[in-house]
Amino acid sequence: MPHLDAAYNLARWLAGNAADAEDVVQEAYLRAFRYFDAWRGGNFRVWLLTIVRNSFMTWVKENRGSRLVFHPDAPTGDTADTEATAWSTPPRDPESLLLERIDSQTLARLMQRLPAEYREVLLLREVEDLSYKEIATVIDVPIGTVMSRLSRARLALRKLWDGAQPAEAANGV
Amino acid sequence: MACDRYRLLLPALSDRQLGPLRRFLVSRHATHCTACAAELEELDAMRTALRTRLTYHRAPPGLAARIGSTLPREEASAAVAGPRRIMPAWGFAGSGLAGALAGVALTLVLLGGRPAGRDTALQGVIDSQIRARMADHLTDVLTSDQHTVKPWLSERLPVSPPVPELKDVGFPLVGGREDYVDGHPTAVVVYRHAKHVVNLYAWAAPAMADAGFRTSASQGFNVVSWRAGGIAYYAVSDCEADALMQFARDIAQAAPPDR
Repeated sequence: MPHLDAAYNLARWLAGNAADAEDVVQEAYLRAFRYFDAWRGGNFRVWLLTIVRNSFMTWVKENRGSRLVFHPDAPTGDTADTEATAWSTPPRDPESLLLERIDSQTLARLMQRLPAEYREVLLLREVEDLSYKEIATVIDVPIGTVMSRLSRARLALRKLWDGAQPAEAANGV
Repeated sequence: MACDRYRLLLPALSDRQLGPLRRFLVSRHATHCTACAAELEELDAMRTALRTRLTYHRAPPGLAARIGSTLPREEASAAVAGPRRIMPAWGFAGSGLAGALAGVALTLVLLGGRPAGRDTALQGVIDSQIRARMADHLTDVLTSDQHTVKPWLSERLPVSPPVPELKDVGFPLVGGREDYVDGHPTAVVVYRHAKHVVNLYAWAAPAMADAGFRTSASQGFNVVSWRAGGIAYYAVSDCEADALMQFARDIAQAAPPDR
């Protein structure tokens, strides 16, 4: 199966557990197989990840009922405000800058606390190394939205990290 | 440009998504502005954390097989048996997604360009394969020694196909049997590929011109057929189409060019 690891990793991070991830991936490959004629060439991995992502969305609708995992982007004005405020007062404490000190367990826990829409852009960007344009294709939004969502995702992760640190430190000591 | 406008572009700079001009302008700004430099450092730190510390969940073993088993084989074989021209994509689809995707170009050429008529020989080898599996009668001579199988076959049959040693390329020899397919006394050389049985059928076709590889899929089996040196060959297996094609190539290479 081509790109099975990439498909599974994305599904696993989106669904949050192995069993559901497998269901999503199986469904995705079935769809890929059915609609293979619709593949217009180009990056096959991007095409496949798009299908994985859509399969996940369907799965959410079918299995989680009304529980909203993906929420639409906040109204633009609101977002701009939040973002402007956040960007203008970034944490300047050098200790909090050192995100790379984070261990994988903590990082995984924080990632799972992010909304799925943030998780997916971070995964597509940092793990799959997709360009903004490719991410826009996968999640079917304009490039500008990709950029703002990535920014908000990073900000949210950073906030979680800053919040998590004292607890971690306390536990550690 | 004001600092906050540069700052908005810092993520794109860090993501290496800026064109050359903007990249130059924004990085130049960041070398002079401590706030932006710190911001950039933080972005890079998060990237490093995500790229190096975030668990990469590899697909569990067996998932590929489970996916393969859910793909609609019936439709594929129906398309092969029926008028193939209508849905050329389904012709290779039966071979499993992996094989199909990996060998798209090749298979499209082989299949799409070559509408197949009713092929009783093809049906014959598949029937034989199924019969042998059901009767648990895969081999008459069970040995991994090529020097036993070949004489055994040539003693009994008008043709004796090449029996190369292909263990090193993933096809250990299992044995041989004689069969009767589509009116031909047939030599069958049995190989294994992982958990799949690969049967090589060969019968005399002296009046027929040589023909290149032709792939088909039916009833869950992939078939590669060709003719060389007055022998008709059919390689049949439920392994992936790509692997079977490689097998066919190896056999064809082992066959003496003339006989």
